Amino acid sequence: MRPDADQKETAMPTASAKKRHWSLKDLVLVVVLGVVFGFLYWIFVQAWTALSITMGPAGDLAQHFLLGSWLLVAPIAIAIVRRPFAGIFAEVIASVIEVVFLGSMVGPLLFVAAAIQGAGSEIPFALTRYRNYSWLTYALSGLLGAGLVFFYSAFRSGWYGQEIFLLRLAIQLISGVFLGGLLAKLIVDALDKTGVVDNFAIGRDRLARA
Amino acid sequence: MTAQLIDIDAPPTRRPVSALARRNPTVKLALLFVVSLVLMFVFDPITPLVLYLLALGAVAVTARIPVKVFVLAHIPFLAFALGLLIVNALSRPGDVLWQSGVLRITTEGLLVGAALALRTLVIGVLSIGFVLSTDGVALMTSLHQHARLGSRLTYAVLAGYRMLEELPREWQTIRQAHAVRAPLRPHGKPPRGLRQYGRAAFALLVLSIRKGERMAQSLESRGLGLTPRSTWRRIPLTRTDWAMAAAVLTTLTVVVGLSSFLGFLEGFHALNT
Repeated sequence: MRPDADQKETAMPTASAKKRHWSLKDLVLVVVLGVVFGFLYWIFVQAWTALSITMGPAGDLAQHFLLGSWLLVAPIAIAIVRRPFAGIFAEVIASVIEVVFLGSMVGPLLFVAAAIQGAGSEIPFALTRYRNYSWLTYALSGLLGAGLVFFYSAFRSGWYGQEIFLLRLAIQLISGVFLGGLLAKLIVDALDKTGVVDNFAIGRDRLARA
Repeated sequence: MTAQLIDIDAPPTRRPVSALARRNPTVKLALLFVVSLVLMFVFDPITPLVLYLLALGAVAVTARIPVKVFVLAHIPFLAFALGLLIVNALSRPGDVLWQSGVLRITTEGLLVGAALALRTLVIGVLSIGFVLSTDGVALMTSLHQHARLGSRLTYAVLAGYRMLEELPREWQTIRQAHAVRAPLRPHGKPPRGLRQYGRAAFALLVLSIRKGERMAQSLESRGLGLTPRSTWRRIPLTRTDWAMAAAVLTTLTVVVGLSSFLGFLEGFHALNT
């Protein structure tokens, strides 16, 4: 076993400079994001389940409008930590918290969905080598996150062969762009303004630019 | 379903009462995962129906969940399953069974819908058994011991779990603090609605990130990540756990095999009628 390399992290100016170990601070941040979003989803799902039951069969379709909100945690984690696999990791941790500690009804298959979702959300950021955080990157992140996981969900829930297949896809993609992409940028920018993330890669990059 | 949140003061070392609660958490999670994965490829109603009845019996006998809790925990799964059944019955082409205006139910849709609904119920009843019989802390410790989950990750998640337990209270505090300071609406009540929830959620996020940073520092200053590491309370992995795994996998194989032999089993192609 090799000793952890965390001690040296303060010497490194940017996140892209260190590729080896995750620092414990980044690790805990991603877990915290997973916990907070897991908790907020949990509140949200309770309200939502009640609503979708009252809406009957329309509820199944209507909940696609909110699909994008499940993607949020990945772009936020990537933007703050700015290292490879942050998005996938954040999604999987959030799903573990939902399943293990909050008892989500999807069961452990949620881990798989989360990993696919995270990968989709992460691709646009990875293509810019974790340097570009414009509205467009976030929007693409939401689009791909929703797009990739759609085919998995479609298989799992048997949407293939339904007459509303394309409608489902369209709603989910739009929701992904707005709730899973652009909303994430709003949240990240607001967080950055409060100063709580100054000690993470996002804050260091801002200082380096200033 | 909320038992994990409420059950804060249950000591992790308390000897579990039910047979299922004494089993190794990693083995239980792995079995749940395997069964869910296999079911993903089953699209006929008979196979999951048999599995559901078996799983229901097994969980009822081994997990000793009070009947009321067991029934209540079923509600979200039942609602979801019902939704699947209705949507598929209405939205699939095939032999029309019943028609009224634009609404029509097809045989194919009904069959696929029933298959998906029953699959949800199988995974649901197993998840109920898992969640209500497994302590989160024991699971993480067991994953560390038996599934080679790194110690830093394990303890980061456990710290996150502690934080999760405090979140409902934090949420309450923030909501109350906002309500106290917010300008009242004309009829004298504090403002409610999506915007207020958003504000509270953001405050919760900021607060938690700050807390997480302190948590990471204190974990690090106490030497987390140093090797070799010892574990305070070890989670046992016994022969009985392997026996349970063998029993579950055998049952799964036999049911799917029999179903295939008798011609009930349908795969993904059932969707493309």
